[in-house]
Amino acid sequence: MSLFNLLSVSASGMAAQRARAEVIVENLANSETTRTPDGGPYRRKDVVFESEAQASPFSAVFQTEMSAGSMGVGISQVVEDSRPPDMRYQPSHPDADARGYVAFPHMSPAEEMVDLMGATRGYQANVAAISAVKDMVSKSIDLMK
Amino acid sequence: MLPAITARLEGYMDLLADRQKLVAANLANLDTPGYRTKDLDFQFEFLSQTPGGTPNVIEPTGLTMKNDGNNVSLDRESRLLAENALRFNVATNLLRNELRTVRKAIEEGKGA
Repeated sequence: MSLFNLLSVSASGMAAQRARAEVIVENLANSETTRTPDGGPYRRKDVVFESEAQASPFSAVFQTEMSAGSMGVGISQVVEDSRPPDMRYQPSHPDADARGYVAFPHMSPAEEMVDLMGATRGYQANVAAISAVKDMVSKSIDLMK
Repeated sequence: MLPAITARLEGYMDLLADRQKLVAANLANLDTPGYRTKDLDFQFEFLSQTPGGTPNVIEPTGLTMKNDGNNVSLDRESRLLAENALRFNVATNLLRNELRTVRKAIEEGKGA
């Protein structure tokens, strides 16, 4: 019985969805940022999820038990959106080019909010999984009473 | 010593725990590109269960594939999550009754 290993799988899902939400929040906060350390406007970021085996101190024991099945999730990389920036005509803006256009990050608030809802939903699903597993563990403990 | 049903209940609970593990992995990988839903054929595995054996992991077919090659259905996994927890609950209660019966017999014997 490896119900405890299961908690780390769900926890990895929670961590990944939280990191995704953090990146989305960063995107929203920088939706009008025209200056970055690398120069040019802010570029929106996306996280890339990847399945990974959840190592635990007991992993040697678990290798014999359905080790293929206990795949958690991790973030393999954070990629920057390659879409060209939005050019808006604002001659009075300090970052305007010679023609009076300013490069703003290409970002749609609707897109980010939908993504954020997806992250929230995924996080909740993992929390529900942890609750169900906790319930199973405590029911097993009740057998000893 | 213990009734034969206890061993079957134990196997049933082990299988439910294994299935719950796959469901949790599916939920963790809800948004992982290219991830396929994993499950086990519960009926078959339970009928052909051997002590210490590991169940075969299968990839269920007929699920809707999303654009990123991921076919995890949140509704399906939520249902299985609840179902496994409830079945496990039933099994532990049945097992507890079996144990209570044995314990009762032991207690009764003490008075002699």
